[in-house]
Amino acid sequence: MKTILQAENVEKVYRVGSVDVAALRGVSLDLEEGEFLAIMGPSGCGKSTLLHLLGGLLTPSGGRIVLDGEDMTAASDAKRTDIRRRKIGFVFQRFNLFPTLTAEGNLRLAERIHAGGAGGAGGNNSERRREVLSLLKLEDKMHHKPLELSGGEQQRVALARAIVNRPAIILADEPTGNLDSENSAIVLNMFQEMNYRFNQTIIMITHNPEAAAMCRRIVQMRDGQIVAPNTGLQV
Amino acid sequence: MESLVANNIRQRPLRALVSIAGVALGVCLVMLFTGLSRGMSNDLQRRSSNLRAEIIFTRPGGMELTTSTANLSTKYADELLKVEGVAQAVPIIRYVFQGGRGFGFEQVEGVDWDAFAAMNEMRLVDGRAPSAVDEIVIDETKARNGNTGVGGSLALFGGKPYRIVGVYAPESGARVKMSLAAMQDALEAPGKCSYILVKTRDGIDPLAVVRRIESQPSTQGNKIQLTRDIITNIEKTIPYLGVFLRALVGLSAVVSGLVVMLAMYTTITERTREIGMLKALGASRGYIVSVIEREAFVISLLGLVAGFAVSFVAGYLINRAYGLLFEYGWRWALVAAAIGVGGGVLGALYPAVRAANLDPVNALAHE
Repeated sequence: MKTILQAENVEKVYRVGSVDVAALRGVSLDLEEGEFLAIMGPSGCGKSTLLHLLGGLLTPSGGRIVLDGEDMTAASDAKRTDIRRRKIGFVFQRFNLFPTLTAEGNLRLAERIHAGGAGGAGGNNSERRREVLSLLKLEDKMHHKPLELSGGEQQRVALARAIVNRPAIILADEPTGNLDSENSAIVLNMFQEMNYRFNQTIIMITHNPEAAAMCRRIVQMRDGQIVAPNTGLQV
Repeated sequence: MESLVANNIRQRPLRALVSIAGVALGVCLVMLFTGLSRGMSNDLQRRSSNLRAEIIFTRPGGMELTTSTANLSTKYADELLKVEGVAQAVPIIRYVFQGGRGFGFEQVEGVDWDAFAAMNEMRLVDGRAPSAVDEIVIDETKARNGNTGVGGSLALFGGKPYRIVGVYAPESGARVKMSLAAMQDALEAPGKCSYILVKTRDGIDPLAVVRRIESQPSTQGNKIQLTRDIITNIEKTIPYLGVFLRALVGLSAVVSGLVVMLAMYTTITERTREIGMLKALGASRGYIVSVIEREAFVISLLGLVAGFAVSFVAGYLINRAYGLLFEYGWRWALVAAAIGVGGGVLGALYPAVRAANLDPVNALAHE
């Protein structure tokens, strides 16, 4: 099995005024291709910081992160942006869809950015888009703007946007945090289906034990460290 | 295809309209002022070019075609007629005053009509020449624009009514003319004029005549110029016009740039989260700059079109209301276009670069 992500002794220190605050204290994590990993832990334990570091949105203060063979720690900001564009799909708790664009428009924008251009035919992958929208049962919502969709539908569009470019990994930050239990179940089922059907590698931060239970592996964090790297549900 | 840029503009129509209006204002300023300057200058030049006299004789320091003084003795006309090669010498008073509608300037000339008309090949198309002190003739343009003619009247010199007794063509110099005696009476300048038009005999080189006039003891100490030199220098006779126009262009560029910059700055503040989303999707700095710059470009382009449209409509309406002439040139139109679009795109550059440099995590957390 191919290792898709390696994090070695990753540290992150924030400077607050004149005080250094350690958000991560030497986190190490390996992830195989096709894994569906949940990261759990109390608020402020460093889950989101870790996710942002793995996604190249932040630079670590120490340690090393290698994603699909590319060292993100040594990369420049532009290079990390490029890795993110090619290899990472994000799903956020607050959906983070572009409100002025329709569901399809949000997907097309992701395609255009993935294609590396400011527009044009480079990002026109209508077959893949249709497949994803169909899988997520969004065919009839293609022309709706986010505010015309329910929370569950918005998160499904966000998931569609994340996977439409076949990223090496999906990083999901509490994707069900803003959803009711019914919609949470729908979205989680779809994450699971992505994982099974496309062997999609996923890291999901969650507070929800039921959500974590759907993952193949659970990592527990506390005080900026991984305290249980490969556990079952222990909440 | 659905466009983030177009949708963003549609999402905030009021702000887009204000930005468009800001750019349009800059374009309008350039177009209207340069159009007016060019229109008035060309009009003056057209009318001056109908003069058949080759030489203008005046006092030093006079502004010749735009002068308003009557400090030259008419006796010089008799002296000039004695110079070899001079066929005619006609004294003229030109008086410049504020327009009757409180906007722009108007001119009146006092001339001995028969001599002036003979020298400059002018004719009365209606009525007769002015003779009494309260009589004037006007050119066809004045009659048409003022919707008046023989039998009508015009208020000159502080509201004093003057009867229109004739309409002449072609247009030449001031559009309103009265007799030299009447003008001298009105200005209380008997025996005086502003300048003397000199026509040379056929086949005589005007420059040779100028040298002869300059060498005459009785005419020395005055200014002698060729009419053709004055006509080509009309724009230069208006002090600092070029500087004013350049300053105006600069000001317009600043106005357009500032309006778009403020609009775009507000935009990126409002859309901080969206910029974070773009970054999370892997959009490069260049892509983010291009999104904001494209929006600014579209707004500037719309402002440019609106600015041109308003300029043409305003020019037409001002012409109808006040008789001021606007002539738009390609050169200034291109300058206005460059200011509108360039100012907008440059103005958006700072907000665009600022957006591109936003921290993605903070941007995503923005409420």
